[in-house]
Amino acid sequence: MIPALGAQYLGAQLPGVDLVPATFNYAALSPILVVLGVATVGVLVEAFVPLRSRYAAQVGLTLAGLVAAFLLLVLLAVNHQTATAGLKVLGGAVLGSVIIDGPALFLQGTILVFAILGVLTMAERLGGVGADAFTPMGSATPGSGQEALALRAGSMTSEVFPLTLFAVAGMMLFPSAGDLLTMFISLEVLSLPLYLLTGLARRRRLISQEASLKYFLLGAFSSAFFLFGTALLYGYSGSVYLPDIAAAIPQGGSELNGLLVPGVFLVAVGLLFKVGAVPFHSWIPDVYQGAPTPVTGFMAAATKLAAFGAILRVVYVGIESARWQWSPAIAVVAILTMVVGAVLSVTQTDVKRLLAYSSIAHAGFILVGVLAFDRTGVSGVMFYLVSYGLTTIAAFAIVGLVRADGAEATHLSQWAGLGRRHPWTAGTFAFLLLAFAGIPLTSGFTAKFAVFEPALRSGATGTIMVVVGLLASAVTVFVYVRIIVLMYFTDSQNDAVAVVTPSVMTTIAITFGAAMTLVLGVWPTELLQLSASASQFLR
Amino acid sequence: MTGTGEAVGFWILGTLMVVAALGLVFVRKAVHAALCMAFVMINLGVLYVMEQAEFLGIVQIFVYTGAVMMLFLFVLMLVGIDSSDSIVETIKGQRVAGYVLGLGLAVVMFLALGSITLPATKGLEAVNNPADGGGNISGVAFLVFGKYVWAFELTSALLITAAIGAMVLAHRQRLTEKLSQREWSQRRVRENTYVAGLPAPGVYARHNAVDTPALLPDGTPSELSVSRVLVSRDQVATPITFHAAEQAIEAEIEDGSAR
Repeated sequence: MIPALGAQYLGAQLPGVDLVPATFNYAALSPILVVLGVATVGVLVEAFVPLRSRYAAQVGLTLAGLVAAFLLLVLLAVNHQTATAGLKVLGGAVLGSVIIDGPALFLQGTILVFAILGVLTMAERLGGVGADAFTPMGSATPGSGQEALALRAGSMTSEVFPLTLFAVAGMMLFPSAGDLLTMFISLEVLSLPLYLLTGLARRRRLISQEASLKYFLLGAFSSAFFLFGTALLYGYSGSVYLPDIAAAIPQGGSELNGLLVPGVFLVAVGLLFKVGAVPFHSWIPDVYQGAPTPVTGFMAAATKLAAFGAILRVVYVGIESARWQWSPAIAVVAILTMVVGAVLSVTQTDVKRLLAYSSIAHAGFILVGVLAFDRTGVSGVMFYLVSYGLTTIAAFAIVGLVRADGAEATHLSQWAGLGRRHPWTAGTFAFLLLAFAGIPLTSGFTAKFAVFEPALRSGATGTIMVVVGLLASAVTVFVYVRIIVLMYFTDSQNDAVAVVTPSVMTTIAITFGAAMTLVLGVWPTELLQLSASASQFLR
Repeated sequence: MTGTGEAVGFWILGTLMVVAALGLVFVRKAVHAALCMAFVMINLGVLYVMEQAEFLGIVQIFVYTGAVMMLFLFVLMLVGIDSSDSIVETIKGQRVAGYVLGLGLAVVMFLALGSITLPATKGLEAVNNPADGGGNISGVAFLVFGKYVWAFELTSALLITAAIGAMVLAHRQRLTEKLSQREWSQRRVRENTYVAGLPAPGVYARHNAVDTPALLPDGTPSELSVSRVLVSRDQVATPITFHAAEQAIEAEIEDGSAR
């Protein structure tokens, strides 16, 4: 019943059995452990460091931790690609809860980069005491005297930085989880801080709290689906480990076959919810609109990346050999996602909601690459996730800077004529929009090519999906060009809307995101090669 | 193999549990739902004990019925015992569509899961054999501290996040100095308002709860005597009912003295 038990007969206190400890490769796990450790230290900083120096301490600690984790990843963990945090099975291999392999390392490194950029934008103060995007006191009733008092007293919710780190640790584990149980827990570890961060916006607090509650309820609901699916797959294969599930499938025609497809679909619901694929997308616009803008950018980039990483692992390590039973349904989901995301983005009047619907459409494009069932598909998806994430963080950082009367001016009509008054900002935003649209010489074009090309080669379904994808892209081009026309060729009497001058931190994040969007469009070879060489899963 | 007593116990408890679980979904009042849930949890514990997993059964009852249910009841206490779900449809036809899709899903799941045949059971003797796994307590220990130790440790990140979240969303740091009783009394005298303090609630013969307002000399209730939270929630008892009873008593006393 329990493998590897009784294998060693050391005559310990219990009759006949001794605990076989799990093996840990601490070098492989070091980036995750550092992020978790720094997050815990951040909680202590919150408790012991006085209010005056708390902002500097938290931001410094968080950035130092993320950079240290990234260095450990590229210098140490890459040389320890192995399955770890599990028991040794017969033959010396480890049945690991965490699998550090090419895709896991690639995605973890990207998440750390996204997290550094995200923290840089979240830490923007714009001359205030604490981070500008976050409320001074989360527990104060919106608009109450308590809130004003908290503002005057110089309080801030600097807890957002340790919370972000916890989310980052969950995101790093999510695509590297070797069993569905660890995957479920890391899903919760990444989601719970995001629910909290969503509800802490400084302005339009009620919308923010509503978004947080919606996200929490729907997220909990989808987690329950994931868990139910895990239970069914456990019933099917007798194990939650993905390699065991994969091994159970080819024996096919067993009397337990009825558990497989419902299990796969229920797990898929949990994962597709996180990427915002279409029947499970309804939370995206509300949450993206309500969350503090830097959090939206970080969430849009990193959550999508982590969730697609988990989908890749479940699909390619666990359930690929049963793909004829489930991939048609996921193909329908991909097509619906592209069409609904593209069409609904046409009708939007709020910049954040528009980018939210555009992120739904992008989730559809990425799903096309996932369904290529090919190593080039894996590398294409990973490349897409990197380029989309960098563009998204920069785009949301710019949205956070366009303001009227101190609050963000997110209504599209307020953006009219922005190109004349602030050519640099509007120009950068226009460039990022062109990347979303997939115009050549931007990373969006290379990325779309990287996911559509393997899909075209995969067969008839892939071709249909690519055709729908191209049509959906054409629709989104219209949406993005409309904003560019609005910014440059429309007159506006509204002089209240202006771009505030950000600190050097936000400037770095925007510059890096925009520069990489250009670099990956013009000279993508290096990253394409890296993602191709990192596309082999450890089974 | 399943023993007869075990099978009889399972079918009785299992049926009751399914009924209670359906009740959890369909009852209107939150308290009834909580009771249904407690019933399911306790019976789950009983089932574990029947399967010779005494430790798991007791822990199930301790943790779920003891701790988790208490949390539910605390929440119920905060939102008020009378609260029930709003059943107004915000999207037209949503409920019908929900029923149809839910029924369809139930049928599909029933057909898919009903088609399986379970393999022969190992039997409790084989599973609890001390030579092979050491019974269910050490079996749980091996899973938690051996095979799934990473998942188990990872849960701590979740707990820390939950604790910070509760603090961020619910804890109000005191920004102004807390006034002592002496300062409050001095302030009352200085401002010459309610120098003797606010009136106490519930000074009736029939009722002395804090939700019953005091009556002013002319018989009108004084809102000052009850908590403003209760006033805004509309949970203040009206003194009218006591009025009538009191008048009846007074009438009786008058009758008695007249006789």
